[in-house]
Amino acid sequence: MLPSFDAFGFLVSWGTFLGIYAILAVSLNLEVGLTGMANFGKVAFYGIGAYLAASLSVYAVLAVYHVAAAPYTTEGIIALGKYGGASPALDLGIFAASLVLGFIIAGCVGYLLTYPTLRVGPAFLGITLLAFGELLRIFLLNYQPLGASKGLSGIPHPFLWIPDPVLRERLYVLVVLGFLAVTLWFAERITNSPFGRVLKAVRDDEVAALCMGKHVPRVKATVLFIGSGMAGVAGVLLAFYMSSVNPNMFVPAVTFNIWAMVILGGMGNNKGAVVGAAIITFVDRILTFITPNLGITIITPDYVRWMIVGILIVLVLMFMPGGLVPEKPIKTPAWEAVESLEKESKEGGSGGDEA
Amino acid sequence: MTKPILEVKDLAKYFGGVKALDGVTLEVPERGVIGLIGPNGSGKTTLFNVVTGFYVPTRGEVWYAGERIDGLNPNEVFLKGLVRTFQIPRLFPSLTVLENVLLTPPRQVGERVLTAPFRSKWEEQEKELARKAVALLRKFGLGEYVRARVSELSAAHMKMIETIRGLITDARVYLLDEPAAGVAYTTARELFTFIRRLRDEEGLTFFIIEHRLEVLMDFVDYVYVLHNGRLLSEGKPDEVMSDPKVIEAYIGR
Amino acid sequence: MVNMDAYQVLTAVHIALIYAVLAVPLTLSYKTTKIINFVHINFITYGAYAAVLLYTFLGIDNVFVAIAAAFVIGGAMSVIDNVTVFEPLSRRGANVVILMIASMGLWIFYKYLMYSVLDVLSRVAKANLVSVLLRFETLPRVVVNGMPITSAFLTAAITAAVLALMLYFILEKTAVGKAIRAIADNPTLAEISGIPRGRVVNVMWFMAGGMAAVGGVLWAIFAIATPEVGDTLILQVFAIAVIGGLTSLSRTALGAFIIAFAENLGMAFLNQVFGVPTSFKPFITFSTLLIVIIAFPPLGAGGGLPYRFLRKRR
Ligand SMILES: Nc1ncnc2c1ncn2[C@@H]1O[C@H](COP(=O)(O)OP(=O)(O)OP(=O)(O)O)[C@@H](O)[C@H]1O
Ligand SMILES: [Mg+2]
Repeated sequence: MLPSFDAFGFLVSWGTFLGIYAILAVSLNLEVGLTGMANFGKVAFYGIGAYLAASLSVYAVLAVYHVAAAPYTTEGIIALGKYGGASPALDLGIFAASLVLGFIIAGCVGYLLTYPTLRVGPAFLGITLLAFGELLRIFLLNYQPLGASKGLSGIPHPFLWIPDPVLRERLYVLVVLGFLAVTLWFAERITNSPFGRVLKAVRDDEVAALCMGKHVPRVKATVLFIGSGMAGVAGVLLAFYMSSVNPNMFVPAVTFNIWAMVILGGMGNNKGAVVGAAIITFVDRILTFITPNLGITIITPDYVRWMIVGILIVLVLMFMPGGLVPEKPIKTPAWEAVESLEKESKEGGSGGDEA
Repeated sequence: MTKPILEVKDLAKYFGGVKALDGVTLEVPERGVIGLIGPNGSGKTTLFNVVTGFYVPTRGEVWYAGERIDGLNPNEVFLKGLVRTFQIPRLFPSLTVLENVLLTPPRQVGERVLTAPFRSKWEEQEKELARKAVALLRKFGLGEYVRARVSELSAAHMKMIETIRGLITDARVYLLDEPAAGVAYTTARELFTFIRRLRDEEGLTFFIIEHRLEVLMDFVDYVYVLHNGRLLSEGKPDEVMSDPKVIEAYIGR
Repeated sequence: MVNMDAYQVLTAVHIALIYAVLAVPLTLSYKTTKIINFVHINFITYGAYAAVLLYTFLGIDNVFVAIAAAFVIGGAMSVIDNVTVFEPLSRRGANVVILMIASMGLWIFYKYLMYSVLDVLSRVAKANLVSVLLRFETLPRVVVNGMPITSAFLTAAITAAVLALMLYFILEKTAVGKAIRAIADNPTLAEISGIPRGRVVNVMWFMAGGMAAVGGVLWAIFAIATPEVGDTLILQVFAIAVIGGLTSLSRTALGAFIIAFAENLGMAFLNQVFGVPTSFKPFITFSTLLIVIIAFPPLGAGGGLPYRFLRKRR
């Protein structure tokens, strides 16, 4: 017997995860779908954002209220519970600062990492970024000021001062979806611009693009800066939603999850990335609602979920390489100019073509 | 002939023990159509690669329009007005023909990431470039292919578009690597007629690697012959064709 | 104290040997097919678990039986992947990135398949299969100059030597091996000269998968077997393969020694002199990886950009 199902509550929690993951998927799509950079370390930038938000907020709250305890001790966690939500201005201020810093710091790390990897092929770029992600996780696992393996908790929700938790959640989902909207708007705009054209050229043949005068290393670094920055923002949003972070939230499988969304949705299509994120997060939300009601199962449902996603991605690549929403041609005003030219030459007889 | 626009002085490029180029000196005059021939593996492509910044030369200098350009990166060389094509055409397959041409103009406003989202900032420039690109494509009989994907084109058309990509940027010098390879005889002659026309009408300079001497020799002003990374001979087409050294290199390979 | 250092060196050599067995096949498969194969992680885990399950269910504690079983399992997985996924994908013109992500899908699939199977088996066996300490003593311990040499070390040394000889013999002396090298050097030319690519590549995949799985056994009897062994070793294995430029088998083997020594002796040094906690070991690995990529950019192998950050004239 399923317990009574709170449909609206489900939608709110799904919406939040959808928003966070769709930001990640869109940013990965910019990197790999449009520019052809195999970022297998996406989780690192997501983690940087999350840990930045977590550490900034807990240390700031403790400092403001002059609590001497470290945030990962019991005393610290109790103090965070006591003072979080005490001041709306502080909570919102921390939230805003985390978002800005999360974007900048994750972006800068992405930018710096490109230096050694700009010139090497996708295999080396992928390995380096994957290794970086693992490295970061191991660092977090062992670095006591960030809570080591237990991570940090008691991150003050930006709307903690609102007494009604349901309203709090609903406000938060709007904020998250707002960020998704901005991200998607930006991604769509740059895709359908001369910049997007350069990105696709780099993806198709970076050497030829370089020979056509494009500063390919700078283009790639720019994209990794933006993509990583977006992932950082997603991490910040996650940290405040979960109110705690720990290193095991940032395993390489998360990167794979984001890739799965992009591939399922359709590589090279920003809207596709959102569709992919929506489907996979929907299934995951359903699973988290159902799993506790299944009792003890022979095989952990989570394992089955991962097996299916793993095989699904292989099948999509093999039998539906374009994904659900395949890539579309670039739309720029150039085509309007072409159309008006074509109309003119039709009106003016066959003129135009010389040869 | 007029003054040289491209000069190569004692140029050498070694790959480990392989001396792909070993002290080549040559010059390409402005508005010239100059040929570069030589047996397989004689270093022709390597010469282009060094001139266009793919490789740093082991020794020697490259001068373009009074400026030393060896050691520059390929994108910088391109921006100076030196365009190359590849032995196998390298157009961008996911872009249309028009976009392939539109891609090339440097320093477009809409190519900067911060202006790209704001259409109004670059819309005019984009339309202007599109009109210019369509005009160019039409001028050379490719008007109907504006919307075509690269994969729908014939080899000869791909090679023409590679050249047109340079035209829209006002590049002055074109290095063409085997433009007539894999192209039917009559089409190859058309391609070279096209090249001559560009030289005559636009005042461009061409430096052309070609194996099909029967086509090349009818269209070039002057020919350099490479052999084992060294200059074997040079001169007017008929002089070179009757040079015993050249005949021996081609037959005795 | 001196004895202690000798012991550390011995451990580093032991790890280096295992790393070599793990990383050389990655280089081999990359250079032949241009696929960064994440299933490599699973080969290692499945190899280790071949030993665990043989021991738990059949009581077999002969390490060489385990090694043989691991080789067959790893090799079979590897060939199956190639035939069902990689080969059809490459025939359809999938690029490096697509192949890499397909292998990532397989990695996730195999990983959780293993977890699921272990869920069932541990219920059947009523035993803990999630972290298993295997201490096979098939080979004797020996003492050289007062230094005790473990059975695991001897096993690793002998296995690595046999695999190296086998690889050398196959690649240098047999027709298949020559075909593998021809495909690695120039796939188009190899195709033109009539090399039966499909079959040859399958032989290569079998060897690569098998070797990596054997490495898993060697690791299991030295350290511990968990369903994550492959995952925990992948940073090192990739770093080592990158040192080998993903093209040179001998440089990969050298890389195994570089990484193993840097990790163990370098870490011991940093720990004693600067008090760096040993848990930061992976930083040494990653720094080595970055240094190698910056100092010797592998532009030839992975395809590179002819761009120089520092302009240079000779
Ligand atoms: N990147 C490289 N590394 C090593 N050797 C190279 C490299 N590029 C070219 N070579 C060698 O340099 C020599 C000259 O090659 P190049 O491609 O310049 O010849 P080519 O004249 O263009 O020949 P073709 O007519 O076949 O195109 C050849 O022996 C070739 O093997
Ligand atoms: Mg050539």
